[in-house]
Amino acid sequence: MSEAVAQQAEEQEPEVDLSIADKVIDKYIDLPGNLMPVLQAVQDEYGYVPRKVAEHVAERLNVYPSQIYGVLTFYAQFHLKPRGRFIIRVCVGTACHVSGAPRIVETFFDKLHIGHAETTPDLRYTFEKVACLGACGMAPLAMVNDDTFGKMTVQKVDEIIAEYNQRPMK
Amino acid sequence: MVNLTIDDKQVTAPKSATIYEAAKINGIKIPILCHDKKLKPFGACRMCLVEVEQMKGRQIPACTTPVTDGMIIRTSTPDIIKARKMVLELLLLNHPIDCPVCDKGGDCDLQNLTYEYQVNANRFSDEKFHHEIDYSNPLIERDMNRCVLCGKCARICDEIVSFGALTFISRGIETKIGCEFEGSLNCEFCGSCVSVCPVGSLLARPFKFKARFWALTNQKSVCSYCGTGCNLTLGVKDNKVLTTVYDENQGFHNGQLCCRGRFGYQFINSDKRLTTPLVRKGGALMEASWDEALELVATRLRGAGASAAALATPRLTNEELLLFKKLMEAAGSANYDHSAGYAHAALTKGFARSFGATASPSTILDIQKSDLLLVIKTDSYETHPVIGFEINMAVKNKGAKLNILSDKRGKLSKLPDAKTFVHTPGSEIAVINSLAKAILDEKLAAGSAVSIPGYADLEKALAGFTPDAVAVQSGLSAAAIKQLASDYAKAEKALIIFPVGNAYPGHNADMASAVANLALLTGKLGTEGSGVLCMAEKNNSQGAVDMGFYATSGLQAGQIMDGCASGAIKTLFLAGENPVVSYPNRAVVTTALDKVEFLVVSDLFMTETAAMADVVLPACSFAEKEGTFTSVDRRVQHIKPAIRKVGQSRTDFEIFSTLIAKLGGQAPAAPAAVFGEIAASAPGYAGMSYAALGETGAFAPVDITPAFVVPKTVAVEPAAGKLALVIGSVLYHNGTLSQFGEGPMYVCPEGYVELSRGDAAKLNVAENDLLNVTSAAGSTKLKARISSRMPEGVLFSPYHFGAAEINRVWSGAPVTWVTVTK
Ligand code: SF4
Ligand code: SF4
Ligand code: SF4
Ligand code: FES
Ligand code: FES
Repeated sequence: MSEAVAQQAEEQEPEVDLSIADKVIDKYIDLPGNLMPVLQAVQDEYGYVPRKVAEHVAERLNVYPSQIYGVLTFYAQFHLKPRGRFIIRVCVGTACHVSGAPRIVETFFDKLHIGHAETTPDLRYTFEKVACLGACGMAPLAMVNDDTFGKMTVQKVDEIIAEYNQRPMK
Repeated sequence: MVNLTIDDKQVTAPKSATIYEAAKINGIKIPILCHDKKLKPFGACRMCLVEVEQMKGRQIPACTTPVTDGMIIRTSTPDIIKARKMVLELLLLNHPIDCPVCDKGGDCDLQNLTYEYQVNANRFSDEKFHHEIDYSNPLIERDMNRCVLCGKCARICDEIVSFGALTFISRGIETKIGCEFEGSLNCEFCGSCVSVCPVGSLLARPFKFKARFWALTNQKSVCSYCGTGCNLTLGVKDNKVLTTVYDENQGFHNGQLCCRGRFGYQFINSDKRLTTPLVRKGGALMEASWDEALELVATRLRGAGASAAALATPRLTNEELLLFKKLMEAAGSANYDHSAGYAHAALTKGFARSFGATASPSTILDIQKSDLLLVIKTDSYETHPVIGFEINMAVKNKGAKLNILSDKRGKLSKLPDAKTFVHTPGSEIAVINSLAKAILDEKLAAGSAVSIPGYADLEKALAGFTPDAVAVQSGLSAAAIKQLASDYAKAEKALIIFPVGNAYPGHNADMASAVANLALLTGKLGTEGSGVLCMAEKNNSQGAVDMGFYATSGLQAGQIMDGCASGAIKTLFLAGENPVVSYPNRAVVTTALDKVEFLVVSDLFMTETAAMADVVLPACSFAEKEGTFTSVDRRVQHIKPAIRKVGQSRTDFEIFSTLIAKLGGQAPAAPAAVFGEIAASAPGYAGMSYAALGETGAFAPVDITPAFVVPKTVAVEPAAGKLALVIGSVLYHNGTLSQFGEGPMYVCPEGYVELSRGDAAKLNVAENDLLNVTSAAGSTKLKARISSRMPEGVLFSPYHFGAAEINRVWSGAPVTWVTVTK
C-alpha cells in the first residue's frame, strides 16, 4: 500500500491498537491458510475489522490489501464499520413481511434515526433487515443480540428501545 | 500429441493443450472473453462453450478443458450458438450501450461478439449498473458499469505484475472489480490491466478521445527506455504517436510493458521538442540554419585531435554510435564515451576480464528456466520492470527460489518465499566474495573450477573473506552468508541478476568479477537457466558497448569532464547525454561545461545541459528513425520510423553523417549500410543481416573464455552520526528522458529522499517535509518519503530529476555519507 493511501486510512478512522491484532497474527502466523482465522479472530477482538487492522494483516501475512478486502466483502460475517452494542435484527422474510414487518422496520428507522446496516453514533444500536429467521410462527419477528421478540407491534418497538437504552454498554 | 476431431476435422494437439488452444492452432476460432494466453485458465464467462461427444454432448468451456485422445468436439452447433447468444444477452442486461462515446469502440470484444452473434434484441431487461466512475488518477479510468467480470485485470495484476491492486469485491449481483476499501487505484500504473480488459471498463486516459481505434496506423517498434528491449506497437494518427497499442503476440513478453513503455510515449510529440538548430550569439541561443550550425561544429572539429571529446547517450542506435565514433576519429580524437566511464565498467572491464566478452552470457529467457535467482539490489525490478515480471512468473509459476541481496527491501522481497538479505550499503562485493569463500570451504565448488586460470590466486585472496569476517562488515549473519552460498551452489540451475547504470556506482568491474567468480566456481554458466545477467540501464546500453563507444585509448567520461575543466578539452560534443542531471558531482560537471570553449549538444529537448551549449542541434526521437538497438541480453532489434520528423529535427545519423562528409570523410547514406559494417566487425554480430532481423530480431551469441579475477573491495567506513545515501532508479523513470514522458510524470513527478520509519521518528520528520541533505560534495533540499522498506541509517534517492538536485550531494562514491536536517 502506498503511503498516501495509508494516510487516508489514518484520517478516516479512530485510533486502533494494532498490538491486539499482532497478538492474533502471532498465534496464526505459521498456520497455512491463516487468512480466514486471523480475520475472524481480529473481528472478535475489535468487534469489526478496522481498515488499519486489515492493512496491517495484509502487510504481516504478505497478502495484497485488495485480497483481504475481497474476502471481507465476500463473507457476510465480516463488518467493516464499528458495530453497535446491540444488534437489532428484524425479519423481512415472506411470513414476517405479510404480517407487517415493513412497518416494524420503518418504526425502528424513525426511532433510532438510522437505516439498514447502520449504527447509531453512540454505538449503542446497529440495525439490520434479515431474511427468515426460522421462527415464522411468531411473525413478525425481531431479535436484539440473542433475545427474540415475536408478534412484534409498533408499540413493542418503543418498549424494546426503552429497555435496551437502560442496559450498560459493556 | 493427441488426436482429436474438431468440427469434423481430424486434428492433433499437444497433450497439455486445452480445447481452445487445440482449436486455435488448427485454425478453428472459438470466441473468448475471460481467457488470455498469458493468464491461468479461469472459465468465468462461458463464451467459449463447446460440445464434447464423449461427455454426452454437454456444453463445456473450451478454455479450461484439457484435450484427451479421441475427443470429438463441436464448436458451433445451433445449441452452442444459442448458448453464446444467451451469454451475450445476459451481459448486455446491465451493460450500458454507450459505445459511441466509449474509447474501446472498434476494439471491444463484447461489441465484436455482439455483432458477430447478431444479438440485436434482448429478451431480458433489467436495470443498468450505477457504479461511480473512477477518474481519480490521470492514467487509468475505471468504469465498472461496463465490466463483464472476466477477472482478467485482477488476474494479470496478481499473476504477472504481482501488485494485486484489483480484486473482486462483494458477491452475487453486487460483485464488482475494485481496490481495497473501494479506494482509488494507486499502483504501478503498468497498464497491464488496461491492455487485457476486453471492454471499455479500464481505459488509458492519455488516449481518451484522441482517436477512434480504427483510425490509428500501427507501427511496430522497440521501447526506447530501458535495456529490456520490449517490443511496442505505436498507434499513430496525423503524424502523432497517440498511444501504445497492446499486442499480445509481441516479443518474449507477450505485449507486457511497464509504466514508462506503456504511458511514457508523450515525449515523442511533446510541444517542448526542439525544432530548429540554435547557435549562441551574444550570449543567447538564437535560431539558425542547419548549414550554419553544422559548419560551426565542423570547423571546431576539423583537426581538433585530442582537444575534442564526445559523450553519447546509450539511446542512440547502433548505427549512430558507430558513425559518432567515426566522426571523432575523423576529428583525430579517441576521447569518446557513453557514460560507461561511470556506469558500464561492469560490462566493459569486469566481464572482459572474467569472461573474455563484454556482454552477459545469459538471456532474459533464462529467468523462467532457472531453479534459483540470486538478485543483487532489488532495484533490478525498478530498473527493468518487465524483467521483474519475468522474475515474478519464474517464482510464482515455475517455483524458482528467489534470494535477494540488497541494501534495502523492494517489491521482489514480497514474492512468495523470497528471502531478502539486507546488507550495509557498499558491502556487496565483500559479501559476494564471502559467498565464494563459503563455497570453497564447504567444498561446493565444481571440480572443473581448479583448471580455470587464476584459481590459485583467487583462493588465496578469498582467505580474508570468511563469512564471520564479512558478517561484521556487512551486517548479515555468518549463517545467512553460508545459507546464501549453499542455496546458490546446490541449486541445479542458478542465475545471478544485477543492474548497472549511471546511478549504480558500486556496480562496477569488480562487482562483475565477483559475480562471475561465483558462477565459474560452481560451474553455473553456459547451460540453460544458469549464468549471469547484467542489466545495463538504457535501451541501447549493450549496443554502445558492442559498438566500442567507450574509452579504450582515450579519456573516459569522468576524465573528459576533468579535461574540460582544465582546458585540455576545448570542444565537447554531447549527443543526447544530460550530464548536468545524470552524472555525479553536479558542481564539477557544470564547472566543466562552463569552462569548455565550445559545447555542442544534440538532443530532443532543451535539457539543463543543452541550455549551456554553444550549438544546439534538434535531434529525432526513436519514432522518427530507423536502425537497431541491442537489449541487455544482446537481442538485436530493428526500429522503423512511425512518424515524419518533428519540425526541422534530424536524426543523429544524419547529423554525424553530414559532419563526417564536411570533415572530408566518406559518409554512409543509410543505416542499412552501416549495419553491414557492424555485422562484419562487432563481436557476435557476424552473419546478421539488416533485412533478416525481422520482427523478432536476432541474438548475438556470447563466447566465454573464463578466468578468475580477484575483485577489489572498497572499504566503506561508517561515518559517525551520518546516514548512508544510496541512489538509484525508481520504477517509473529511466534516465532523464522520462521527465518528458507525461505518463510517468503523473505518477512520480519529482525527486525525493526515502528514509526508514525509525530514522523519520528520530529526526522528527513527517512525509513530505522538506529536508536538507548535505554531503562533502554539496547540499540540496528534497521532500521526505517515509517507508518500511528502508533499513535504519540508509537513505535512498532517485536520480532522474533535473529539479531535485541529488547529484549536488552524490559524489559518485558507492555510498555517500550525508547529514539530514529539517
Ligand atoms: S496498472 Fe498495473 S499495477 Fe496497476 S492495477 Fe493495472 S495491472 Fe495492476
Ligand atoms: S474491468 Fe475489464 S478486465 Fe477487469 S473484470 Fe471487468 S471486464 Fe474484465
Ligand atoms: S522501459 Fe524497459 S521494461 Fe519498460 S516497457 Fe520499456 S523496455 Fe520494457
Ligand atoms: S419469514 Fe420471518 S421468521 Fe420466517
Ligand atoms: S473464455 Fe472460456 S469461460 Fe471465458
